[in-house]
Amino acid sequence: MSKNNELVDDLVAKLKRRQLVGSSTVSQATLKLLIVVISRSNWTTANQLLTLVKSVGQRLIQANPTELAVGNIIRRVLHVIREEFREADSNASSHRNKSTESSHPTSLTTSSSMYNLLGETGSTVNDNVQYPSSLRSNIIQEIREIKDELENIYDNIKNQALLQIHSNEIIMTIGRSKTVEEFLKMAAAKRKFQVLVAETAPSYSGQEMALELSKAGIETTVIPDSAVFAVMSRVNKVILGTHAVLANGGLVAISGTHMMAAAAKHHSIPVVVCTGLYKLSPLYPYDEDSFNVIFNPDSVLGFEEGDLVEKVTVTNPYYDYVSPDFVNLFITNQGGHPPSYLYRLIVENYDPNDHTFDL
Amino acid sequence: MSKEFDIVAYYKTLLVESPELSMPVAAIKSLVELIKQSQATTMSEFMISIKDASQKLKSSVRNSISLSAGCDLFLRFVTRNSLDVADFETWKASLISRGKSFVEKADACRYKIAEVGEPFIKDGSVVLIHAHSRVVSLLLQKAAASHKRFKVFVTESSQTQGGIRSAKVLRAAGIPTTIILDAAVGYVIDKVDMVLVGAEGVVENGGLINQIGSYQMAIVAKAANKPFYAVAESYKFVRLFPLNQYDLPTYNADTLSFQELNVDYDAKTSEDAAGIPSKSLTGSAATKTLSATASPSVASSQTALHMKTSEDQTLQGSNPLVDYTPPNYITLLFTDLGVLTPSGVSDELIKLYL
Repeated sequence: MSKNNELVDDLVAKLKRRQLVGSSTVSQATLKLLIVVISRSNWTTANQLLTLVKSVGQRLIQANPTELAVGNIIRRVLHVIREEFREADSNASSHRNKSTESSHPTSLTTSSSMYNLLGETGSTVNDNVQYPSSLRSNIIQEIREIKDELENIYDNIKNQALLQIHSNEIIMTIGRSKTVEEFLKMAAAKRKFQVLVAETAPSYSGQEMALELSKAGIETTVIPDSAVFAVMSRVNKVILGTHAVLANGGLVAISGTHMMAAAAKHHSIPVVVCTGLYKLSPLYPYDEDSFNVIFNPDSVLGFEEGDLVEKVTVTNPYYDYVSPDFVNLFITNQGGHPPSYLYRLIVENYDPNDHTFDL
Repeated sequence: MSKEFDIVAYYKTLLVESPELSMPVAAIKSLVELIKQSQATTMSEFMISIKDASQKLKSSVRNSISLSAGCDLFLRFVTRNSLDVADFETWKASLISRGKSFVEKADACRYKIAEVGEPFIKDGSVVLIHAHSRVVSLLLQKAAASHKRFKVFVTESSQTQGGIRSAKVLRAAGIPTTIILDAAVGYVIDKVDMVLVGAEGVVENGGLINQIGSYQMAIVAKAANKPFYAVAESYKFVRLFPLNQYDLPTYNADTLSFQELNVDYDAKTSEDAAGIPSKSLTGSAATKTLSATASPSVASSQTALHMKTSEDQTLQGSNPLVDYTPPNYITLLFTDLGVLTPSGVSDELIKLYL
């Protein structure tokens, strides 16, 4: 157990120091840690295991609450655990009384629904059942599948590129997103199109993005952020990456995204968001700034400008909240979905009991 | 028992005895009572009696939407369970116990909704609510109890005076509340951070049926880019798919008809002066000055929503009690199943009725 704690402490420290950043790396690290914790610790009942995973999850989330992917991965794992125990439970009970009691179809009891108001309350996980020894390996196996999914996430997303991008189109994007980069490169293998990248001040990650794209032979133009609206009328499609997707379909994406999406809406240009499902969070934006981070303002106004620094307040918010009505389509590793469909993906991937981690 | 059980009378006494009870819960309670007293010996006789009773209930009140949601939910539960009946009597007993536990759970629903909706109320914000809704009041009370400072505008909703009731409840909870005219929604919308309404029913496409005035509030909120949240218990989800305002079951030929075209206006003004209520007043629309001078029957037509004398009904008959808000105006729904987007509602209904 103490060894587990060490590993958890290590990841917590890395998250706190922001040595680990970016949804993809963070979620892979979280998953790796969970596999170790689950396979090494002693647990016999579902509740023990759920509490164990939740307590690790709580610490990781507190370490950096804006990395929503950590929470998403933990919820996925919790969901897998619940499913496996439920399956083991129903196997055990069907062995005991095969003929007497017809069990309800699982779809009715698995999640809370209107039917529960009158029917039985959802089957609570029973603690007194002897579980088969294969359960542990089954759970680990399922979690490894999530890991595989994470590793292959770009493949599934970029395979849809040719459906979205057509010849001679002009695409606009902002910031540096690995997902969007892979997506555009895939399309470039077969089609010829032009990409406009907003430079994305003050991090200038758009410039890096443009460099990567031009290396892949895509005709790329960097434009200043202030020119986004001006050139929008010539654009065919806006393709965005995102840091997180919230339950209502809103985005937490690099600052400047809201402006670009608003300009696109003004010109009725479709906005497509490329994202892995691990970025989809069941949380709602209670407050527009609740998932934002204020970064070091040095890049906006450096100390060289000594006179000015004293007289003005400089803030450098890293993210934008983009409300769902600015987005037309999400391209995920499970296909394309409109924002109104995201609730369905949340129901499929997470258990409603896990939306908040109350122990 | 020789006398036939009168479900309508039972339902109405339930509502009078406990005003905190909402209509669908009272409907299910009445149906459970019917099962208790039922003399039916065969399955089909039993099913027919339940169906008849719920039909009777639905036709007994003018505004039957939330009531029929409760009836349909219970009927659905009965038919679904009727497939695996081993023993009729024990099955009946289990239905009764389930119905009872539903009534208990129904109360818990409201607390669950208050819990999921409370984080949406921001500290220092201003909330606009409409008329009176128990669950909206509870949500706001909970937010106030967790030390959030916010202010509330409530529309008076002249038909039922529900806004005044809301204001009393909220002020008692220490929330600064101002009553505004129904016509002043557009005037205050710029000062408001969010709009919160209750529901009579939530329809299949995620739209909302609620006290008259909700629709125009939603339109104003949309125009001003303010979030419009609806709060509803999941037993208020109904299987209706209205396409417009006149598609609701509460709509009839009398609603907003132009009867007064045939009336001699000169004669009418003299009638008014004499204090005899005339068609032109049509109940709710009566202004304050008018109701002060008008006959008592006009004034009383403004108070009770559900139980009215027949004379009042003919007076008010032409004004609708509820309206339909299409789903594209609704930001989110707070329900006991969690926070749903309007499209999530149809999913829940399909789960139940498929």
